[in-house]
Amino acid sequence: MSETMSGKMNRRSFLKVMGWSTAGATLAGCDLPSTVTLEEGKEDVVSYLMPEEYVIPGVGVWYASTCTQCAAACGIHGRVREGRVLKLEGNPDASLNHGKLCMMGQAGVQGHYNPDRITSPLMRSGGNLTPVSWDKALALLEEKLGAVNGERFAWFTGTISGHQAALVDNHLEAMGSSTHYVHEVVNNAVSRAVYQDMLGESNPRLRLDKAKMIVSFGADFMGASVSPVHYAGQYAKFRTNKERGLLVQVEPKMSLTGGSADLWLAIKPGTEAVLALGMANLLLNKIKVSDAGIPADVRSLIDSHDITKVARITGVAGHRIQRVTQLLTERSPSLVLPGANAEGQAQGYDTVAAIMMLNHILGNVGKTIESSGEFPFPQLMARQGGTADLLAFAEAAKSQKLDAVIFHGSNPLFTAPASLGLSEAMASIGFKVAIAQFPDETSMAADLVLPVNSYLEDWGTQVPANQGEDAAIHVQQPLMEKLHADTRGFGDILLTLLKQRKNDEYAQFEDYYAYLRNAFAAMPAGVKNNAKNNNEFWNTALQTGVIKVASGARQLSSKVVSFAAPAEGGAGLTLIPSPRLGLFDGRHANLPWLQEAPDQISKVVWDSWAEMHPATAAKLGINDRDLIKVSSAQGNITLRVTLLKGMNADAIAVPLGNGHTDYGRYAKDLGVNPLQILDAIKEKKTGELAMYGTQVTVKKVGPADDVSLVRMGASDTQAGRKLVATIPVEQLRRTEGS
Amino acid sequence: MSLDNILNHWSDYRKGAEEGGHHDYEHRWAMAINLDLCIGCNACSTACYAENNLAVVGKQKFEKGQAMHWMRIERYWDQQELEHPEQGASFLPMMCQQCGAATCEPVCPVAATYHTPDGLNAQVYNRCIGSRYCSNNCPFRVRYFNFYSYYESSWPQPLEQQLNPDLSVRDKGVMEKCTFCVQRIRTVKDKAYMEDRKVEDGEVTPACAQACPTSAIVFGDTMDENSRVAKLWKKHQVERGVYQKTRHAKKNADLRGYRIFEELNVDPSVMYLERVREDV
Amino acid sequence: MTMVTEKDINEQIAWAKINTDVLKSMENPRPAYWVTLAVCLAMISTAVIAEYIQYTTGMGPANLNNPHMWDMYIATFVFWIGMSHSGTLLSAILHLIHADWRKPIYRFAEAMTTFSLMTAGLFPIIHLGRVWNMYWVLPYVSDRGHWPNFRSPLVWDAFAISTYLSASMLFLFVGMIPDLAICRDNTTGWRKKLYTVLSLGWVGSDQQWRNFRKIYLLMACFLIPLAVSVHSIVSADFAMSIMPGWHITTFPPYFVAGALYSGCAAIITLFILLRYFFRFEEYMTLPIMEKTCKLTFAIAMVWTYLNLVEFASVWYGHDIYNKELLIAKATGPYAWVFWTMIFCGSVLPFALAFRSLRRHMPTMFIVSLGLNLGMFFERWMIVAPTLSMAHEPHQWDVMWGSIVEWAIVFGSFGWFGMLFLIFVKVFPSVSMYEVKEMVFHRRRSQGEEDVARMTDHAKPATQEGT
Repeated sequence: MSETMSGKMNRRSFLKVMGWSTAGATLAGCDLPSTVTLEEGKEDVVSYLMPEEYVIPGVGVWYASTCTQCAAACGIHGRVREGRVLKLEGNPDASLNHGKLCMMGQAGVQGHYNPDRITSPLMRSGGNLTPVSWDKALALLEEKLGAVNGERFAWFTGTISGHQAALVDNHLEAMGSSTHYVHEVVNNAVSRAVYQDMLGESNPRLRLDKAKMIVSFGADFMGASVSPVHYAGQYAKFRTNKERGLLVQVEPKMSLTGGSADLWLAIKPGTEAVLALGMANLLLNKIKVSDAGIPADVRSLIDSHDITKVARITGVAGHRIQRVTQLLTERSPSLVLPGANAEGQAQGYDTVAAIMMLNHILGNVGKTIESSGEFPFPQLMARQGGTADLLAFAEAAKSQKLDAVIFHGSNPLFTAPASLGLSEAMASIGFKVAIAQFPDETSMAADLVLPVNSYLEDWGTQVPANQGEDAAIHVQQPLMEKLHADTRGFGDILLTLLKQRKNDEYAQFEDYYAYLRNAFAAMPAGVKNNAKNNNEFWNTALQTGVIKVASGARQLSSKVVSFAAPAEGGAGLTLIPSPRLGLFDGRHANLPWLQEAPDQISKVVWDSWAEMHPATAAKLGINDRDLIKVSSAQGNITLRVTLLKGMNADAIAVPLGNGHTDYGRYAKDLGVNPLQILDAIKEKKTGELAMYGTQVTVKKVGPADDVSLVRMGASDTQAGRKLVATIPVEQLRRTEGS
Repeated sequence: MSLDNILNHWSDYRKGAEEGGHHDYEHRWAMAINLDLCIGCNACSTACYAENNLAVVGKQKFEKGQAMHWMRIERYWDQQELEHPEQGASFLPMMCQQCGAATCEPVCPVAATYHTPDGLNAQVYNRCIGSRYCSNNCPFRVRYFNFYSYYESSWPQPLEQQLNPDLSVRDKGVMEKCTFCVQRIRTVKDKAYMEDRKVEDGEVTPACAQACPTSAIVFGDTMDENSRVAKLWKKHQVERGVYQKTRHAKKNADLRGYRIFEELNVDPSVMYLERVREDV
Repeated sequence: MTMVTEKDINEQIAWAKINTDVLKSMENPRPAYWVTLAVCLAMISTAVIAEYIQYTTGMGPANLNNPHMWDMYIATFVFWIGMSHSGTLLSAILHLIHADWRKPIYRFAEAMTTFSLMTAGLFPIIHLGRVWNMYWVLPYVSDRGHWPNFRSPLVWDAFAISTYLSASMLFLFVGMIPDLAICRDNTTGWRKKLYTVLSLGWVGSDQQWRNFRKIYLLMACFLIPLAVSVHSIVSADFAMSIMPGWHITTFPPYFVAGALYSGCAAIITLFILLRYFFRFEEYMTLPIMEKTCKLTFAIAMVWTYLNLVEFASVWYGHDIYNKELLIAKATGPYAWVFWTMIFCGSVLPFALAFRSLRRHMPTMFIVSLGLNLGMFFERWMIVAPTLSMAHEPHQWDVMWGSIVEWAIVFGSFGWFGMLFLIFVKVFPSVSMYEVKEMVFHRRRSQGEEDVARMTDHAKPATQEGT
């Protein structure tokens, strides 16, 4: 008792010490067995005097792991106390997120402890899913997959990386198939295609922190995007740089990022390319920036987009375009970002190409767009998805090209537009296996459901597609014992599948943990960072949660790709099915914290809603909170409207997330799913689904009602108070920075 | 509070109420929130739910105004006259301001809310009888009342296993509010005490500040002159104390620091830094 | 201008008749009595069910929320506290200034004081989130040395109300002792036993009367500052806060005026009811009614003046929160309540200025109810709008309460009604000995000198003791 000896014991700490020692003495004196049965067969009380290994009663210990709430794969620390994981925080060692974590990551524990998890294998018999044992489930799996023709077998997953991705590849190979559908609703697939063609790299490092000005064409980089925490961290640097960065956001619906813009411009949906061409026109013809590297056909396209025409088509005021373009040349280096609105059109590729051309003209490539280098483990890199694979999958299912599919980490039955007819088409697939944590739409339609561990109970590795300052492999380790006895790790299930095919090759690995240890041991010495032995390397990797790898140097090209003349937007109202940070694409609708967290812009909770500009609504005779019906050629949804001025008059936004027909108590039968009424328009060059291309009509079907649409906050204005004071940047410059 | 104590220290006691309670502070925990960095993303709010066992009330009760978000992100539109909000939204993270001269404290009939030597407005759940006077008298409206028991509705099994054992789950009839994560402060203070040293700056981080992806929230002890938060307060010439004392503190009107409702004399412990917008 | 001065009371009433008339009112309840009592009990039962729901599930079913942490419970509390001021005013203040006309009507007014306090006292308890810990506001001896927070107006409330309640109950009781002796001498059975105990051996001796007078005067003097302080303290619940619309210097006199106002209005209501149902026309005479009305009118004008002072000081004070709130009260969602309050409180009392209306009992009955409605709304307008529109615009809200809340509020009227109904059948609602005093004084002032005739003792004596 060091504090007693140092004479530093006051009454409080004395009582503390006394409390512990008395309790200890009492318990020890009782000479009880290690477990005391309170009520026969009901509950065992295990004394903390004999704790589990590594458990210090009352002391929380932080363990490193990796978040899988979205595809970004941030490093996390989980606080474990008395054997339970309680709280997640960002891992400061991960250069991707620097110890920060978004709301979805914070809510990861609610997925882990969710009351609606699947806790035992389910098998379809007589039309219903009924619980079966693992033995039975695996026997069925072996039987069915053994019988299937390899070419008619496929995996359907969300973004997947690391050793799990490698094992999926191996399984496909063992099955004699090469069909791996990777589907993500929130993606940048079109941009990746353009990056690849223009820069020679599909995931370049966007250095927001180095830019002095950002013009974002609807890129919600801090919201529901590919790596929100990473870009939010960069944004903070961008804003606090000596010269405060200037953010201009051009989009039809104000996104989370748009809410922080210095200048937010509403653009008619589908005319982003026109605006980009108009800005290029000003740069080349008025400001006289060099047009080096611009193909002749593109140059003539640019020349045909003078400012008057552009202002007319896009609905963005001409003087605004001029000023923003002017500033872009003054604030170099800058960064022009394409976003989901630009990508999700029939000519999405062309639009993104036009936007990225501005970076070329402004000389940003190499300054604010850097190469992410050559990742030394290509087999572990993220398989990034989009919606093209969803369309391809629907096509294959419809034409009955698939006999067996394994689903994991993706919910196509929720995210597929109804016009794809996926639910009917999937019925034709003979054997559908879902490796699932929750009873979502897809797993409930499967023939066999294998309950998987939550990511907080599972082993794995994740490789972020968009890396932080240092390229790294993020290590995922179980933060606690399995919550439910009958769930299994994803890697373990993969190994079992592989053993069923190639037992000789995989029998050496007792479980996925053994596989990973082996794989880690096999990593090249350079990665092991002077670890004395494999054990030390393994322990360090688990402690820090990240394995830093040196990526090979690579140079970006800066080539303007040719593109066709852009469309000029739809004639009517365009539907914007906007993902939101929180429920994301609907995968987090079963997490009550995220349902109760208001949407960042509209402040609606626990619901689906439509956002419209007051002027548009007035024209249609619609008031705030009215019940409206949004109809496309494919169907309609009925929901309440919330009027927002952060909207283009030609757009109506319906945020994603709700509208589940299954998915547990928190998500089921709440709100509507706008994805259902999308036209299945294909992006012309990449085959992605043009998510922002659906034209809709809107009709009022019911009166306003205060109770049905719940918004946080009573006042939209500060009512004359000094709550959020805003000052011009000049005032900031007088006191801080330049 | 004994009668002797009141009689012997009556003048201190009265004066204390005006000037912020204690004169022998051990710490004065405070925040500085840079509104120019706040993107309104809700990370802080969700982190607060995770750390502080906040009940999820559901749609109906949320509609009634019975939500329990200790940390809420208020969103305002400032340019009402324009067709579009051209400077985006104004986000305001609002939580208990831990006022030095808190209006919630004197009105509690049972002294369930009181001023700690750390400069916090502590809420003693066990002592609270639910008169709700404190919330009525809070200009920031950041005190949340347990209108129901939420054990079963908010944490169906096994969700209750996520609950943080460092603090209690509040039952119906009790007021609660942001504590600046007092359980984290407590742990760090105990540790420092055991190691016979002072609490270092940055050692305590509340869940919101920890989560904030843009690091907009800086937390620390303003009595530690070298802490980041004390430096920020000093840099922005925002002083502790009531308005009569502090209104002349700000020599340079360009500095961005301010406290909300400063003129109400409540001496909040949260300094906000003005949001900046560039006029394009 | 000369006016025919009407007599407050006919001095020719025989003393024996006074006793018989008053004692008659205490027996043989008519069907109307039982119906009213049943209605009251039904209201109470509904409230008890509502309170049971609230007790078991929490304060949620009352629709309370952030920002409406208080609502009708506190408004109703203030209303009943206000109601309690009438009795004190009539019995103590008018006693001290020798306004004799109070004598036939002060008894029920005092009973009203006690019962409205007993009703008011329920609300701070009902509105507590943890009712079972309500005694924590009292400075009881605790082994942990816990004390209530003496800075909190709610603690002051607890002291003030309990003091006022015990004082006014004592006052009511002490003033009733001679009458209880009459009751004792005229009853049999349980009533006899009860009155024997309660009359404390009163025989009407000289010494007893002397002591009685002294203590009654002393208590009257004690009660007046108490009454004023009680409502000032209740106003402190609001005035000591920082909220716009509450933090107002004129609140103590404003509350006291409002209290006297609603108390007087309630006296008029009960005056008319008792006069009608118990045939008390000879005691509760029109001249007394007129005097009560004039007093009420004067208080109404004081209240109106204090209202205007408040509005003007808010308007010229340029405190944005207060000003905004005032405008919102007049134009916002609560406007109909606000304007009803202004109409009932400041316009309707002008009906009391007309002699013909004052003497028309049905009209006065409706007017008095209207005045009290205005006063009830006044309390509502003090509590709710401030909470709905305080400093923080994010937390603005308009709230109309729930069925649970309103059931309890209405139940309180049933509770008050029940207590009063029981009172009028158990205790004399007109002070017999003091009416006799009035008669005595009138007879003497008319030049009568024979004490025996002045006290009716020439006739066969009815009863001893008075």
